[in-house]
Amino acid sequence: MASESQANAARKVVVHLRATGDAPILKQSKFKIGGTDKFAKVIDFLRRQLHRETLFVYINSAFSPNPDELVNDLYNNFGFDGKLVVNYASSMAWG
Amino acid sequence: MVLESGTLTSSSSWVGSISLDEFRVAALSFAERWERCNSSFVQWSWVCPKRLGFAAGKVEGYLCLQNILIPRGTQDNCCDEASANNSKEEPCFDGEDDPIDNATLVQSSDGEAHYYDFHIVYSNSYRVPVLYFRGYCIDGQPLVLDDIEKDLPANSSKILTESKWTFITQEEHPYLNRPWYTLHPCGTCEWMKLLYANKAPMVKGVPVDQYIISWFSVVGQVIGLRTPLEMMRS
Repeated sequence: MASESQANAARKVVVHLRATGDAPILKQSKFKIGGTDKFAKVIDFLRRQLHRETLFVYINSAFSPNPDELVNDLYNNFGFDGKLVVNYASSMAWG
Repeated sequence: MVLESGTLTSSSSWVGSISLDEFRVAALSFAERWERCNSSFVQWSWVCPKRLGFAAGKVEGYLCLQNILIPRGTQDNCCDEASANNSKEEPCFDGEDDPIDNATLVQSSDGEAHYYDFHIVYSNSYRVPVLYFRGYCIDGQPLVLDDIEKDLPANSSKILTESKWTFITQEEHPYLNRPWYTLHPCGTCEWMKLLYANKAPMVKGVPVDQYIISWFSVVGQVIGLRTPLEMMRS
């Protein structure tokens, strides 16, 4: 059990980035991230790549995770085959 | 009409909104799953309003989460980030002037607990759920937007500064007829459509019972309420 949970913690997750709406498609649409990293890291990566402060980032299954969520937890709920599909749109307006 | 297991129209032609009947199904499913996945937290309840002179329809109602205590001083990280940004933007003092110490103002209200009520109400005009909320001190004194802003996550206060009139404003609560704060519903259809745009192809249509969970995963972040990931599992 202990070794299994250790392996789980050390696991890397492949994040697939998919553009929606009018968001530009990235040259590098896949990257590996540590399972114990926070989702904020994915958002930051996208912000840097797209040079935008406000982005709408969400999981393939119609869910927008809190930046504090761990990648491992997101993978366990929404991932498959070692992959986590993350969608992004370049803007999101309230009103 | 079987709504409980129903799906909204196929996702390609769906405009992002729901009907009043669908709202009720989605709301009850949201409350039920919240209870299952978040049992240690305060629970949502479905309120059927009694309007004088009107016979409220049997589907009419709203979701309600009351007396949420927002502990002060738990958002240290956000404050650090905000003050770091400020220091970059503010002009430098030459050292002779006394620096303005905003922190003293914040400290005076330290230890004073703020409570919040949240209501999820259906908007007949926009055909989407709308979040209404109010904040108050323990003695019942209502909080003004400036107080509320300090309780919001850093990102929300930023949006509030950038788009003052299109994010959080005060409106009449549709059932209580008192002024409550509300999140602007104009953009909701658009971002709900985006949320469901790239759903796995084997899932046809948009499941009604998940609508408010998806919606709250976005809205909850504005007010600092976490949506348990397990809620998306059917």
